[in-house]
Amino acid sequence: MSKKPTTGPALHKVIMVGSGGVGKSALTLQFMYDEFVEDYEPTKADSYRKKVVLDGEEVQIDILDTAGQEDYAAIRDNYFRSGEGFLCVFSITDDESFQATQEFREQILRVKNDESIPFLLVGNKCDLNDKRKVPLTECQGRAQQWGVPYVETSAKTRENVDKVFFDLMREIRSRKTEDSKSTSGRAKDKCKRRKLKCILI
Amino acid sequence: MTETMKEFDRKDFRTDKYVKELVQECVGGSELQQRKSKIHSYYDQTSSALKKHVYANYMQFIETAKEISHLESEMYQLSHILMEQRNLLGKLRDGTGDSKKDLGSDETAEEDADDTQSLVAIKTVKEMVPGFTGSLENKTFLNEGALIELDANDYRPIQRVFFYLFNDILIVCKVKHDKKLEFLTQYDPTKIAVINIKDLDGVRNAINIITPDGSKILQCVTVAAKNEWIEKFEIAFKFNQLNKTKKITASKSKLIERQASSIDTKSITSDALLTPTEETASVSENWAPEWLATASEEIQALIAQRHFEDALSLIQKSEEFLEKDSTFWNSAEIAGKIKNLKTELSNVLIHELSIYQNRNLQATLRSTRRPLKLLGEMGKARQACATFLKVCTSGIRSAQREARRNNLEVSELFFCDLAEVATEFMRAFKSQAACVSCLVVWCNTELRYFASQLVKHYLTKGSQLEAVAKCVEGVRAPCAKLNEIGLDLSYHMEGLLRGTLEQIIEESRVRMLETVGRTEDAWQPYNLQTKSNLKSLLRDMEILGLDMSSQVTGDTWINLTQSTVNFCRHFLSVTESCAYLAKIETLKLNSEILLKDIFLAQHAIKPNPGITVDLNFVSRNKSYLVEELLPVAVKKFEKLSGRKNEVLSDVHLQLRGPPKPKPRSVYQTDVL
Ligand SMILES: Nc1nc2c(ncn2[C@@H]2O[C@H](COP(=O)(O)OP(=O)(O)OP(=O)(O)O)[C@@H](O)[C@H]2O)c(=O)[nH]1
Ligand SMILES: [Mg+2]
Repeated sequence: MSKKPTTGPALHKVIMVGSGGVGKSALTLQFMYDEFVEDYEPTKADSYRKKVVLDGEEVQIDILDTAGQEDYAAIRDNYFRSGEGFLCVFSITDDESFQATQEFREQILRVKNDESIPFLLVGNKCDLNDKRKVPLTECQGRAQQWGVPYVETSAKTRENVDKVFFDLMREIRSRKTEDSKSTSGRAKDKCKRRKLKCILI
Repeated sequence: MTETMKEFDRKDFRTDKYVKELVQECVGGSELQQRKSKIHSYYDQTSSALKKHVYANYMQFIETAKEISHLESEMYQLSHILMEQRNLLGKLRDGTGDSKKDLGSDETAEEDADDTQSLVAIKTVKEMVPGFTGSLENKTFLNEGALIELDANDYRPIQRVFFYLFNDILIVCKVKHDKKLEFLTQYDPTKIAVINIKDLDGVRNAINIITPDGSKILQCVTVAAKNEWIEKFEIAFKFNQLNKTKKITASKSKLIERQASSIDTKSITSDALLTPTEETASVSENWAPEWLATASEEIQALIAQRHFEDALSLIQKSEEFLEKDSTFWNSAEIAGKIKNLKTELSNVLIHELSIYQNRNLQATLRSTRRPLKLLGEMGKARQACATFLKVCTSGIRSAQREARRNNLEVSELFFCDLAEVATEFMRAFKSQAACVSCLVVWCNTELRYFASQLVKHYLTKGSQLEAVAKCVEGVRAPCAKLNEIGLDLSYHMEGLLRGTLEQIIEESRVRMLETVGRTEDAWQPYNLQTKSNLKSLLRDMEILGLDMSSQVTGDTWINLTQSTVNFCRHFLSVTESCAYLAKIETLKLNSEILLKDIFLAQHAIKPNPGITVDLNFVSRNKSYLVEELLPVAVKKFEKLSGRKNEVLSDVHLQLRGPPKPKPRSVYQTDVL
């Protein structure tokens, strides 16, 4: 059996992170199957794959929906390693979930060792605006501080659901082309950037 | 006839010989012809019998496969329940281990069972996997099994592998062609991440494990096996964090107990048993009878062992006794305990019910019978039925999602599921009026949800009328079937879909009107070019109910314009869709108006003034529409919908009325 290198459509690996119950699975299922799942069933780690057209080019997206619940925290490192981009989700109705994004961000940076990893901060459940606990300015402030985009979504009304996945894929794609241009220099670059930051702090 | 045909079954049957004899036997061609036709009909019979057999076998096969998959999921549930039970017992043991030494022997037994299992597994690894040299001392065995490794790009099988999972090591072997195992590699489970592959181009039962040397896609044999691996990998991951401390203390205490002689343990146990007996013996009748005094412990044990029926009957027996005689001095305490246990039992049973969430509905219905029955006996029917219906909701909805993703028929599935739930519900609660009303409310809620899903996924804006009619018709039959079990939901269902359907009809009307007469017509007869084209056109029209043979002229011509012919076809198929929709009383008028409008639009088409046309031919086309097409459409509509089509009939009367010369002349003669 000789393995032929299959050059199918490009594959972009997205990981959903965030506290339990913020709507990671709901966003994933809405994106995959156009439906909103009302029941809450905590996730362990589920993966999905789908062909989509990104700016006229057919690509595949691989979504890893991870567990938000605390008792899985220790396993996360193992999952994060395989991600090329992250949707860091919290619920705008739950301040604790917003605070938790800080920890997720740190964990991802530690595992990936890359300050500019494709990353979106996502405030979900924006259909429940009347129950908002996290002010918009605070969300935008944090995103700015991290240098990442901030988007509000609703898995229920489908608002911005496609947007967050497509925006993230675009970032991943441009990172990949950038990488292939400067293949060897990159790795050193990353460390340098990282080190600089450390020194600054 | 069969007599003569028996010959075919004979082993030494030879065609040439048979034919020779036949030819000799028969006198004249006609007899031969007869024999030939007999043989032919025998052939037909045999072949249809064969088809039937194959079909019957096939159906049986499908049934069996279904049954097996039900059983499989039930086995999975059982194993799940056992696991939970085990965890529960484990917790109990941890909680009581220190205070009650007499349970110690039990603990040892169970730990020993664990250990033996691990020992057996360790032994097999040593025997079966020659390449593996590591030590497996003191490891706990978790799972083993064969999996298929798939290529990450095209998901084709690469090789068969066999996993042995222990608490802190995963041994990966390759299964060679001679079924022997060859050690490949080993991993630390804490360095592994397991992903449940939910959707990967139709690859079933697969997991993805991320190891330090990359990720691997592995396919399990069944869903159950897949879930088991996911669970066991999680246990392995958490094992070292959670169990380290516990294990050490446990094995220490075990050691101590083992050092103590077995006689000691026994005497402790019997002591414990004896004490209450002595106590009861030593006091007067003012004490509760012995069985009652120990009842609470007994009940607790019965619940833990899942002997729910026995637990309940003991509770009932105790209650009865207490009701008759509660003069003994600790009666209040015992009554309190019994009451608590009763609540506990009902909680456990409710929990039993709710763990079936998100499982296969049929299996759920079967396995909920027992807790439902018991809860009914305990007077907890209301609570039970609420939980039960909740579980059913999630079962039905996930089945629907699954079916939708696989493009299967959703309506029939939904109503069958609904009927099954209702039947099961009536079996458990038919005597409870309050519960029955819960069922009705629940059915309505589910129906509403189902309708909203239909609207969302199948009746969207811009849907083709034909597809919409098909969908609505697909709902109708199974919905009506529910009448058989006394659930009349048809009216309600129609109400839920009405608004959407009205919109779709209106939208289709506008769309269709736009297309009528869009192509420029030369007002020439329609030439089909070949005879076979003509034939197939006539056949198509006949299927739709219109006989056009009278319009044929020459070999390949139809004496109508192509646009008229096409419109006939279009109109009849739209009529069919409209008739289905018009079965709903409130949609009848809308569908009739749609038909009327497009008909009139076609009828009103005038030849372009820029071209010369034969005016007789134009009016020939018009009168064909009125005289031939319209009556057929009206009849078709009425037959399919079971309702009169007044609007079209009126159109018919209006259009044929005054300009007809013949009836007028008759009328005139009458007057004269
Ligand atoms: N109103 C509203 N509810 C939502 C939205 N997204 C999710 N939910 C609900 O929130 C609950 C939790 O959603 P999940 O998607 O299962 O949460 P999760 O982040 O995957 O949780 P874990 O798997 O435990 O990490 C469910 O009951 C959803 O129906 C939203 O945008 N709006
Ligand atoms: Mg989830």
